[in-house]
Amino acid sequence: MNEAPTVEPIVVIDDDYAMRFSCRKILLKAGYIVEDFEDGASGLEAIAALKPSLVLVDLKMPGMSGMEVIARLHEIDSRIICIVITGYATIDTAVEAMKSGAYDFLPKPFSPDELRIIVKRGLERRRLAMLAHRHELERELFRRRFVTFVSHQLQSPLVAVHQYLDVLKHLGDAPGAAAKREEWLERCLRRTEELQTLIRDWLTLSRIERDFLSLHRVPLDVCEIVRHVIQGVELLASGDEIRMEARLPEDPCIVTGDRECVTVLLENLVTNAIKYNRPGGSVTVSVERLNSELAIAVEDTGCGIPEESQPFLFEEFFRVKQDGARKTSGNGLGLAISKRIVSEMGGTIGVRSQPGAGATFTVLLPEYHQREATGTYEQDEDHSDR
Amino acid sequence: MNKTKTILIVDDDGDFVESLSVYLESHGFRVLVADDGDEGLKLARMEDPDLVIMDIVMNERTEGFFTIREMRRDSRLRDVPIFVLSSLYSDGGSFRIQPEAGWLAHDEFMPKPPDVAELIRKIDEHLGTREASK
Repeated sequence: MNEAPTVEPIVVIDDDYAMRFSCRKILLKAGYIVEDFEDGASGLEAIAALKPSLVLVDLKMPGMSGMEVIARLHEIDSRIICIVITGYATIDTAVEAMKSGAYDFLPKPFSPDELRIIVKRGLERRRLAMLAHRHELERELFRRRFVTFVSHQLQSPLVAVHQYLDVLKHLGDAPGAAAKREEWLERCLRRTEELQTLIRDWLTLSRIERDFLSLHRVPLDVCEIVRHVIQGVELLASGDEIRMEARLPEDPCIVTGDRECVTVLLENLVTNAIKYNRPGGSVTVSVERLNSELAIAVEDTGCGIPEESQPFLFEEFFRVKQDGARKTSGNGLGLAISKRIVSEMGGTIGVRSQPGAGATFTVLLPEYHQREATGTYEQDEDHSDR
Repeated sequence: MNKTKTILIVDDDGDFVESLSVYLESHGFRVLVADDGDEGLKLARMEDPDLVIMDIVMNERTEGFFTIREMRRDSRLRDVPIFVLSSLYSDGGSFRIQPEAGWLAHDEFMPKPPDVAELIRKIDEHLGTREASK
């Protein structure tokens, strides 16, 4: 928002030479590029070529009227800001002009300051309109691509299953197929499970977004949930020979939130740390007090996350490309869900990682201090929820 | 006796590739598989396939459109028939990216999953394998 944007071209159309001359002088001095014309026809011709940001046009001119100029210049480019110059006698017409798309009007006579202010305001309006338009386009593009992407993710497992069944049907008892039948049916089952998980995660994601405020938010001990989650993944961890470790304070660490959501959050981080680890590695979950916050850190000894992938980790469906690493299952929604849970709880989530040296995911959540009697807490919370 | 024809499948869905390969092999083709565009291009240059079946959306960075363009720029691969198989654009009407845009100089487009009998028919048509066996 500069005082005088230097590259904004302005066109002045007025049959009165003195008026043109003074507008031009004032605006040039304010740093604009100015072209002036004595009639509508030559003005429009120049507008088509110059594509100015703003046009000042007199309403009463011989030949083409100011009204006609406004209509035609918006055919050329609807984003050009048009300001009408008019004498008192034609104020009704000025109102008409504004109805037909002029941005504002400037009654004659006017001071240099009045001209500068109205031009500046007009250009600011144009800047905001163009910005809004661009954001709208970007959002629309994102939305379109996103819908396409989600439907692709949902279709892939269905396509694979359909194809297995179709080929089995076509090959009948041909030698190639009979040997494959068992294995293929097994794979079909796995892909349908994958689809079910995807749909479930997708629903979780939208549920958190839609309903979180109406979910029951109660004081929860994070340490207790960490212990519970670690117990739950024991089998998965031992299968991959991963050692689990918890470093937790003695006393409870309280946050307020929905128990199920906090469990999902920690489960996601801990299972990722196991899945993206190396055999024989370890996962360490720690909870620490930092001022008024609790820092929950999940550290693994896996292959790390490439720096260029880190900014996209928490986006829906993003998956890290891993060279030579074992193929891991996952639909790219886990961390997106985690991030949404954390931000709904007023916290933040981040990652620190160096390729080859593991990764540490850290969640910061506001700690709930039980200063007031615990008995009254839930009651208060209920009121504030309404 | 005809030389066995080679088909290269570029697709990142291992299950889809598995069933398609077995089906093509059962029709006497030799099948090569690449799970992303880069790998597909490398394999195409090394093995001179007679036909390529190309997925469009792949998890890796190089997608089908890009790979097709690169193949068309390679004088040795320029005339290899390319079949695009994609679930994204199953409705032919919404298949917006046009060959004249230079991106999709493919020979056939089929939705995914394809009608496998129809796929074999189209492959035979392009390779002249059916006429040869008559």
